[in-house]
Amino acid sequence: MTAAIATSGLVKTFGSTRALDRLDLTVDTGEVHGFLGPNGAGKSTTIRVLLGLLRADSGRVEVLGGDPWHDAVAMHRRMAYVPGDVELWPNLTGGEAIDLLGRLRGGLNKARRAELIERLDLDPTKKGRTYSKGNRQKVAIVAALASDAELLLLDEPTAGLDPLMEVVFQDVINQVKAQGRTVLLSSHILAQVEELADKVSIIRHGEIVQSGTLAEMRHLTRTTIEADTSRPVTGLELMPGVHDLEAADGRVRFAVDGDHLNDAVQALSHFDIRSMTSHPPTLEELMLRHYGEELAAAGNGNGEER
Amino acid sequence: MTATAVREPTRTPTRRSPGNVLAGTGTLIRFILRRDRIKLPAWLLGISLLLFQLATAVSGLTETEEGREDLARFMEGEVSAIMGPGYGRDSISAEVYVAGVYGLFFFVLAALMSMQLVSRHTRVDEQNGRAELVRSTVVGRYAQLTAVLIVAVAANVLLGLMVGGTMTANGFDGGDGLLFGASVGAVGLVFAGITALTVQVTEYARTATGIAGAALGGAWAVRAVGDMIDDYGSPLSWFSPLAWSNQTRSYVDGRWWPLLLSIGLAAAATAAGYALSNRRDVGAGLVASRAGAPVAASWLRSPLAAAFRLQRASLIGWTAALAVFAFMFGAVADQLTDPDGMSENRIDMFGGSVDTLVDGYLGVITLFTAALAGIMAIQGVQAVRQEETKGRAEPVLATATSRWTWLGSYLTVIAIGLVGLLLVAGFASGIGAAASVGDSSYVWEMTSAHLAQVPGVLVLLGTAALLFGVLPRAIGLAWAVVGGSLFVGMFGTLMDIPGWLRNIMPTEYTGQPPLDSIAWQAMVILLVIAAGLAAAGLAAFRRRDLETK
Repeated sequence: MTAAIATSGLVKTFGSTRALDRLDLTVDTGEVHGFLGPNGAGKSTTIRVLLGLLRADSGRVEVLGGDPWHDAVAMHRRMAYVPGDVELWPNLTGGEAIDLLGRLRGGLNKARRAELIERLDLDPTKKGRTYSKGNRQKVAIVAALASDAELLLLDEPTAGLDPLMEVVFQDVINQVKAQGRTVLLSSHILAQVEELADKVSIIRHGEIVQSGTLAEMRHLTRTTIEADTSRPVTGLELMPGVHDLEAADGRVRFAVDGDHLNDAVQALSHFDIRSMTSHPPTLEELMLRHYGEELAAAGNGNGEER
Repeated sequence: MTATAVREPTRTPTRRSPGNVLAGTGTLIRFILRRDRIKLPAWLLGISLLLFQLATAVSGLTETEEGREDLARFMEGEVSAIMGPGYGRDSISAEVYVAGVYGLFFFVLAALMSMQLVSRHTRVDEQNGRAELVRSTVVGRYAQLTAVLIVAVAANVLLGLMVGGTMTANGFDGGDGLLFGASVGAVGLVFAGITALTVQVTEYARTATGIAGAALGGAWAVRAVGDMIDDYGSPLSWFSPLAWSNQTRSYVDGRWWPLLLSIGLAAAATAAGYALSNRRDVGAGLVASRAGAPVAASWLRSPLAAAFRLQRASLIGWTAALAVFAFMFGAVADQLTDPDGMSENRIDMFGGSVDTLVDGYLGVITLFTAALAGIMAIQGVQAVRQEETKGRAEPVLATATSRWTWLGSYLTVIAIGLVGLLLVAGFASGIGAAASVGDSSYVWEMTSAHLAQVPGVLVLLGTAALLFGVLPRAIGLAWAVVGGSLFVGMFGTLMDIPGWLRNIMPTEYTGQPPLDSIAWQAMVILLVIAAGLAAAGLAAFRRRDLETK
């Protein structure tokens, strides 16, 4: 499989801020790639470098086999972009903005445009200044997805959409995926990425700290086990890879590293398991492993990216 | 019919006290003062300081008889009617000149201050959803409008006192100073009232202030034309609220009663505003915003078409406004056919020879129009800059549109717009001049004279484009060039402008046709310079990062 996006050692600084710090990101053709990270981690900056709107200070960028800074126009014919914070022209209607952006890219599929407007429940006759944030977002989504672009760069595309529209959006992205197109989806909404993404990259302080399929990443992390046993559990906390064990009144709860899951469950079975639940690490937990200290400091991690 | 014994539920008499609809006004006044604690004092102090500066400068100029003659020529004839009706031109003094000629600036500033103040605390708040938040608390229906109008009245009274005080501090008569101050404040009150009305009508603050601004422009035009018709104003003048403030004749033979008209109009407009505010929902306008086209017109498919679509309204507005001005300036050209009683200085200003006075005057007017066209060019580039900083350029540049094409399209549209504007304005002034002087050759002469200014204005456009590419944050520097051209064009003969300053103004090289012959060589050189500046700006923009939000 060829790579739709390949960067290595990407560095971008703004004054004294190092927004991207040797970023290595690879997105294979035909995959939906989740791009996760908190505010200011460098997600939007990465996407703008991939679009050739910003020039990297150093490092290599290849998008669809070309250099986005030098061949911006040729690349852009094959790419579509949804910005994280959509601004529209106050005196152009949403429909006009969709057509203008689509035509400037080299044409858009009218049937798909109509279908998307219908499904996203967008009124294309309203002027740009009258749209709410969610509706501006819909305009950008329709403009991008009604194209035949092979690569979609979506920067938090559903920020401001209601849950119903979120479901529609997921469905649309699944269609795009079925057509074999490539999607880079940056998001805070972990459930959405979990639902859609084949692979995930986690960015922190301008570098990718982890990248892989969800299965691979889960393997690297801990599974949480809760069980009721007939006999009190003893000695399990001494086993390698077992963490945070709490036991009381015949109930036990612990986390276990992927490598030691089998040993731990075998050991547990000696205490006569009456019921057991296990859940794989959620992306929240994957993120927390990398961002624990920042999330604790910030109090919440769901603010908007600026 | 069955008689039922059900009694009417006893209603507690709900006599609404008028206090209900005004509940919270006091708190809102304090809130407005808190929000505007910088803006409002800045306006008041800024206006007073400007007045002080001007009054001091004019006082210096009137020390000699020669200086007074210099000033007097700005108060003579139809051209001076642009500024005011010309009271006191027979015995000119510094205070007469300040009130009679510069007074217009202060009327306009008071109007702008009041328009922005009222719109900021009514429609802007509604548009951003803040008014809703406030109205959901214990705040009466009329409280927001009442609060801002009370602040507006207080601000204009204070402005009047400060203007009067400034004039008195300059050593001018105190009583007339107060009258002049009241005249300035009265214009502010009128436009506060008009804005209180217009913000009820439209859903968007920009449209509301736009309508009020158009009313201000209209008031100026009516007064200017009215004052041109007759010395000291004609009946037409009296249809303009600006005229009422001029007609107080401060420092000549002051009278207060014209200001009653101002107060009457302010009160009537305010009352209409209150009446309309009662007939609409919070956030809505009386005129619902219309639905637009669900699909884009088929011609809207290239960066050039997009640039044209986004600049269209501004191009049409500028062209129409300058065509009207140019026609008016042209139509008074016959006043200069007779040099009798004209001062030497004034003849100098218009070319120095009594035989070519009309051509000299038309040349000055052409240069003036060209400098105004320069303002349009720079505003156009600033609009492009806004596309970038507001984040609207980003999705466009993420399509198959190169940086060159994007910026180049805008520059092309503005450049063609400039040619069209000067063509139309030249033709309009030519028609006016031809009709008033009775010589049809002016139609062609004025059209070509205006077109001869195109290269100079394009250099301004090129300068703005270069700044956009190299130092986008400093794009405002281009204003210095256009301001300089305007200043040199207007006051070049009145003040000693250093040669080097004149030499860097592009409009200096195209001469002043129709008085001078068209400088073909200079035009070509300026065109090359303009193209070079624009190309450098484009190249620099291609190399820099796009500024994103």
